[in-house]
Amino acid sequence: MKKLAFIALAIALAAFVAVPLIGQTAAQKANLAASLKIDTSKLLSADNQLLLAPSTDNRKVPKRPADPNKLPETDPLHWYDMEWAGWNVKPTNIPKSPMTGAIGKKVIFIVHGDHPWTTACILGAQKVADAYQMEFKALSPNWDKVVQDQMIDQAIAEKPDMILLIPLDAKGAVQQARKINQAKIPLHLFNMLPDAAALNYSLGWTGPDDFGQFRLLARAWADELRKRNPGAKSIGVAYVQHAPGGSPFFARSFGPISELAGYAKEIKTLVAASPTPATFDANTTMQLVSDWITKYGDDLKGICASDDSAQALGIFEALEKAGRNDIVVVAAGNSKQGMDLVKDGKLFGITYQTAEGDGALSVQYAADWFNGKKLAVRQNLAQHIITAEDVEGFYPPQW
Amino acid sequence: MRRSGKINFLAQGDKYRIYILFVVIFGFMSIFAPKFFSVFNFTTILNAIAMNATVAIGFTVVMICGQLDLSIGTVITFAGCLTLGLQPLLGFPGSIAVAVLGGALVGFLNGILVAKAKINSFIVTLGTMTILQGAIYQYSGGNSISVTTDEAFAISDFLQVSLLPLLTPRILITLILVVAVEFMLRRTRAGRNFYIVGGNRNTAWLAGINTDRYLIGAFVLSSVMAAIGGVVSVLVSTAATLKLGEISLMYVISATIIGGTAMSGGKGGVLRSVIAILSLEMLYTGIILFGLGNEVKIFFAGLILAYVVLYEAYATYRHEKNLGQRPELMKELATRLSTKEKKLLGSRGA
Repeated sequence: MKKLAFIALAIALAAFVAVPLIGQTAAQKANLAASLKIDTSKLLSADNQLLLAPSTDNRKVPKRPADPNKLPETDPLHWYDMEWAGWNVKPTNIPKSPMTGAIGKKVIFIVHGDHPWTTACILGAQKVADAYQMEFKALSPNWDKVVQDQMIDQAIAEKPDMILLIPLDAKGAVQQARKINQAKIPLHLFNMLPDAAALNYSLGWTGPDDFGQFRLLARAWADELRKRNPGAKSIGVAYVQHAPGGSPFFARSFGPISELAGYAKEIKTLVAASPTPATFDANTTMQLVSDWITKYGDDLKGICASDDSAQALGIFEALEKAGRNDIVVVAAGNSKQGMDLVKDGKLFGITYQTAEGDGALSVQYAADWFNGKKLAVRQNLAQHIITAEDVEGFYPPQW
Repeated sequence: MRRSGKINFLAQGDKYRIYILFVVIFGFMSIFAPKFFSVFNFTTILNAIAMNATVAIGFTVVMICGQLDLSIGTVITFAGCLTLGLQPLLGFPGSIAVAVLGGALVGFLNGILVAKAKINSFIVTLGTMTILQGAIYQYSGGNSISVTTDEAFAISDFLQVSLLPLLTPRILITLILVVAVEFMLRRTRAGRNFYIVGGNRNTAWLAGINTDRYLIGAFVLSSVMAAIGGVVSVLVSTAATLKLGEISLMYVISATIIGGTAMSGGKGGVLRSVIAILSLEMLYTGIILFGLGNEVKIFFAGLILAYVVLYEAYATYRHEKNLGQRPELMKELATRLSTKEKKLLGSRGA
């Protein structure tokens, strides 16, 4: 009798422990199955483009030179650690996918600062998060890294299922990523390419391939410069650079410089500078470009800008004042101002850099990870150069 | 009697204003802001204020002397860049020493120009700020500077480890500096002399105080504190960005004024400035925890500053109105004088 009672008690105890576990696993399996059925591929951004357009870049990752810094800045491989960052990571303490499905997961989305681009980016991210019924929280440190560090601490305290981060500073990202990693919270970096070491602590990186886009833009720009200056042995160009410190500063000037060194050797860099004190201010850019026009005169045949809104407006103000309409201008895009300038025939070309797609791709990456999909360490956004020929197809602009 | 009570109440309110603000914000956020009341959150807040609180220590002393130091933000960045930039050459002890000494040198130059050349501190420190900004860009080539060695990570981890609840070495450094400078200001003759110099420079000179020495000392202290703030900040983040101290200037100025340090000098305290920074940080954290945006944060910071400035204006008006009036004396006279004399006084409008 005692023996029977003991067996019954043991069975009851085992059932008490096992049933919830089996139940939980079943619930997780159901959640995973439901998550995998969700299709986000048809979602559209405000400009009626596919929100998650696949990347068209099929370049192979080259072999890293022994010391890229020893190569000249005009050699594309000099920029290897920036352009191909992420492909040679040493994963450190990276968690495995729980394979429990994306539905209901909590993600904290930390951006860099308030800007119309950021608003569009958050909107895109929210669309994918809503599709997966994720708990989505966006935080903006208003361009202050100290505040971003604090927000990371707060995000860690909330113990979300994942933190998605646009690092404000490429080098500062290393410690930020390490800290999140040490807290055992999965991290995904996006948009701004951080220092390669930061990617060791991240599941992956998604965003625009700034170098790749600007290499593409450089070729289109060079073709147009050649067309307008047939037979010229030397074509002088200038670069209005991004704010110093981040990857766009290098990608948007040294990307085309190193590309043209091979593709169009007759195109010579006259000057490259960032408008100071305000990098993205039309008036400051106008003054900078006016000085260049005075200094280089007719030798200046092309300008490549890091921004198609304030910088581009400043450039065209300077060109109009100087009565120059022979200069071919290209820029990083694609804001409303930039698209309007392309439509008006002023800007020759801009890069298609979807803000909504940027945010959306990062959340999709998170969802795919929760769903247990095998993911590449790095996923680039689709690349395209918008010119007057197809600009109409990208209206209304995202920001 | 009512008038005297009102004046006393206002004076007490003025004295404890920042503590009342602190209690109100702390109480409100603890009750209403989700997840505000937790040890982790408080530790995060204290870590977040560590840099600006350290910077505010020196800045408050400069303001007590009736001066301004606009160079604090760039000194933070300057010291941060030197700490990490020179580390491969000198190691951390050497680079930290150079960074702090570099800060002291900037402060000394500011002090000499203000005290000896009699140039307005606003102009002097604006100039220093601009020159330093250029030097930093030149030194860094427009890039952030980082050190990602195991040693750097070990120092960073150590500075953030909890020794006791709410207390990390980073917070402890700030706390020690606050206590030391507050003690110096309140309990030593040298400290009290800063108030006398700020209250009235001529009177201080007539009292035998070497005013120039105190002014130079205040600027050196301000820059050294800014440098320490920058050094500790980059040791934690292992990276020095070129915008590191950019926002600190306005933040520290606002907090020091909110804390009750008079821009005209002679009044204020380090602890009050630090409590003001803590209050603002709690407010900002609460706003974030409520899920509100930066615009709300900026609005409330502006609102508090506007209230304090208006209150200061009212306090100045009240002070000037009461100048020459001695209600206690009148009350005493009223009890001693005869009825006839009282009538006489009354007819004269006393």
